[in-house]
Amino acid sequence: MEQPAVLIIGGGISGIQASLDLASRGIKVYLVEKSPSIGGRMAQLDKTFPTMDCSICILAPKMIDCAHHPNVQLLTYSEVKEVKGAVGNFVVKVLKKPRYVDETKCTGCGICADHCPAEVPNEFDEKLGMRKAIYMPFPQAVPRVVTVDKENCLECGLCEKVCGAKAVNLEQQPEEIELNVGSIIVATGFDLFDPSEIPVYGYGRYKDVITAMELERLLCASGPTGGHLIRPSDGKIPKSIAFIQCVGSRDRRGWIGNAYCSSICCKYAVKDAVLVREHIPDARVSIFYIDLRAFGRGFQEFLNRAKTEYGIRFVRSSPGEIVEDPVTKSLTLWYEDTATRSIQNLMFDLVVLCAALIPRRDVKDLAKVLGIEVDQYGFLKASGAITHPVDTTVPGIFASGYCLGPKTGDVPDSIMQGSAAASRVAEVIAGRV
Amino acid sequence: MSSLDSDFMHEVANTPRGRGVLTCIQCGRCSSSCPVARLTTEHNPRRLMEMIILGLRSEILPTQLPWYCLSCFTCLDRCPQGGDVGEAMFAIRNLAVREGNVPEGIVIQARSLIDTGRVVNPTRMALLEREKLGLDKGPSTATEDVQKILKRTKLDKKIGRR
Amino acid sequence: MKHAFYLGCLIPAREFSYEVSVRKVLPALGVELVNMEGTNCCAPFSIQSLDYASWMALAARNLCIAEEMGLDILTLCNDCYESLLMVNTILKEKPEVKDQVNEVLSEVGKEFKGTIDVKHMVDVLYDDVGVDKIKDAVSEPFKGLKVATQPGCHLTKPKRIHFGAVRGFRALDELVRATGAESIEYDRKEMCCGGPLRGVNDEFARQVARLKLINIKNAGVQCIVTVCPFCYVELDLGQLEIKRHFKEEYNLPVLHFAELLRMAMGMKLEDWEIKSHKIPLNQVLKGRL
Repeated sequence: MEQPAVLIIGGGISGIQASLDLASRGIKVYLVEKSPSIGGRMAQLDKTFPTMDCSICILAPKMIDCAHHPNVQLLTYSEVKEVKGAVGNFVVKVLKKPRYVDETKCTGCGICADHCPAEVPNEFDEKLGMRKAIYMPFPQAVPRVVTVDKENCLECGLCEKVCGAKAVNLEQQPEEIELNVGSIIVATGFDLFDPSEIPVYGYGRYKDVITAMELERLLCASGPTGGHLIRPSDGKIPKSIAFIQCVGSRDRRGWIGNAYCSSICCKYAVKDAVLVREHIPDARVSIFYIDLRAFGRGFQEFLNRAKTEYGIRFVRSSPGEIVEDPVTKSLTLWYEDTATRSIQNLMFDLVVLCAALIPRRDVKDLAKVLGIEVDQYGFLKASGAITHPVDTTVPGIFASGYCLGPKTGDVPDSIMQGSAAASRVAEVIAGRV
Repeated sequence: MSSLDSDFMHEVANTPRGRGVLTCIQCGRCSSSCPVARLTTEHNPRRLMEMIILGLRSEILPTQLPWYCLSCFTCLDRCPQGGDVGEAMFAIRNLAVREGNVPEGIVIQARSLIDTGRVVNPTRMALLEREKLGLDKGPSTATEDVQKILKRTKLDKKIGRR
Repeated sequence: MKHAFYLGCLIPAREFSYEVSVRKVLPALGVELVNMEGTNCCAPFSIQSLDYASWMALAARNLCIAEEMGLDILTLCNDCYESLLMVNTILKEKPEVKDQVNEVLSEVGKEFKGTIDVKHMVDVLYDDVGVDKIKDAVSEPFKGLKVATQPGCHLTKPKRIHFGAVRGFRALDELVRATGAESIEYDRKEMCCGGPLRGVNDEFARQVARLKLINIKNAGVQCIVTVCPFCYVELDLGQLEIKRHFKEEYNLPVLHFAELLRMAMGMKLEDWEIKSHKIPLNQVLKGRL
């Protein structure tokens, strides 16, 4: 009898790991990813802490393995629309959105994008740069095919004309695919809290107040500035950079933010601060924090090096507000250094907000489709927080990665949970749930 | 060196509006936001919370410290612990008042309230003007009722009126 | 829409032009104002600083009067709004406090039941009347007038109580836009006017007002629009004081929003109202007066 297949929702590192674990055991995997390419958040990062490995360099081989593995079927630019049945026998309807490009013919050469006249803010670059209406989401995209963003497409037909492989098909229709799987893994990851909800920090009004994810794109060689860290407002090199922690995290106000600690922001702030100093060795870098949470392997040591070797200033203070000088665009930060107890202000060229990590904004809809429970923040509830941490509240549906909440978070944890969920799936297949 | 009153933090926490002092994590966002803290080093909401937590009762209640606050609620709105910390300012002032520490400007308002039911009253000129304009005399004050209420809550005793 | 009209102390005592404008504008927009009889002081923050029980009982007595009328309260003053709204909210949420307050209120034959809501004029104009209806009623829009709104602290904070009510100060910006004027952004818009320190620490009150005026002036506006009589006094009369103490002039006339709306609806201000503004209106509003 053929082994039941597995549906994995979410093509980030966690979903990819689960796919590879299961595929290598001879189990058929359908990896459904909403965006045009797998890779997820890790593809957007420049380097990962604390080893400072190039993020895409360690991710891309796994992405390629997924693409080439005979047991993995990638369904990118697709969404799960309906799930019926129970563990061992789920019937899933997946909607494959039309990319208006034939995946079997496209060679990923990119000539179409060169000719496309329509420019749109690039979501992969956190809207700091532009892409065309027909686009490759990022250079290492898997599958390496372009996608047409029909909403912004001018329907000029140029892409169709110049495509050597005749892969463009502007009449392509959405496809409904029915899958029969024995179990499901949800690995949808996270979004960032929108700091414009805190108006006094100026995000959205002041161009040089950015989120940490936007900073990653500026630091990344494949990003909108080719890896040159410059101020979004005037393109000048920033000589003073501030990081503000706990933006939207540890917030008990109720009408804004979330009460939990996102658990990785202290880590990524120190990592980014070190990267900034590497890019601009004479930059003055300060991290404004309430507590410094440096737990786990290698992290406290990394933090110590950040202080001593990289000269990063750590100021225990949660800043009150940021004000921009209308002429110089210099940002004035008001804070009280709780160590020296003096209220002061300091000017910075660039301010990075370490925003909270929140569940993907559409995960609540997906949870409804799957019939699984979410908690008050939108994170997936484990059926047993201690004993069954990767099981959702529906037998046969498992989860891994940040969609389960902030107790996980950095890359090794997401990989671990992907493997854990895969292992649970293997039990289903072996007949024991 | 003043003596530390280890019960003070709980005294404040058990005063109405004072609960927030128990949740203060001394992050400094309140002091970074306070408009008055930028004008004078005398006023610093974070430091005031710190002093309460440490038990420096005698350095707060009889002094000017409780009376710099604008009650603008900026600190309260920005406090990551839910804002009750800003409310504690009112608790401190209530306690200070009971020890006879009230600025004259507020005593005047309180006296007017007790005597007339309002903190600000229209002058005779103002009343005449209102009549001329066809406006009523303004809502009649219920002085008697106010006095009954304030007698019950013992306001005049609390502000130490003779 | 009928509302119990709570005037507070300051407006009947000093700022009747605000009241006159409101009495002309709101009924024309379909809001009926029913006078409240026998109200007392709302117990603003200065009285709140004295004693909790007194504050609760005094504010609650006014709420009881409105409850007896069966109408929501409409108030024109931020401090009255803050006091009444907070007490109304606390007494509705905490039965033990409500019982204690009702014990005091029994002395004067009143009982708080929690049946009405407290609204500021801005709430009523934005939520109940609506920006579209106001735009329709505006016959002489203020094209090109650059305005800095002063929403005031107690209109929008504490957000956990006010959030549902006024959506931050964006409501006031939209209302100003409905009159045709432009509401200009300026730094630290939510900052206090300094008013609460009057009589307690005049020097700091002045300095805070000055900080506020500097920020407003830097934004390049022509006038300031307020919705609270305290903010109005602090920023209008306050400019004369600042001139005396700091030798600085800002020349920013201050208008009550109700006055702005009244003029936009085609009504003219009377002479005595124009004169009541300490910073002359005529430079900015020539032709409209």
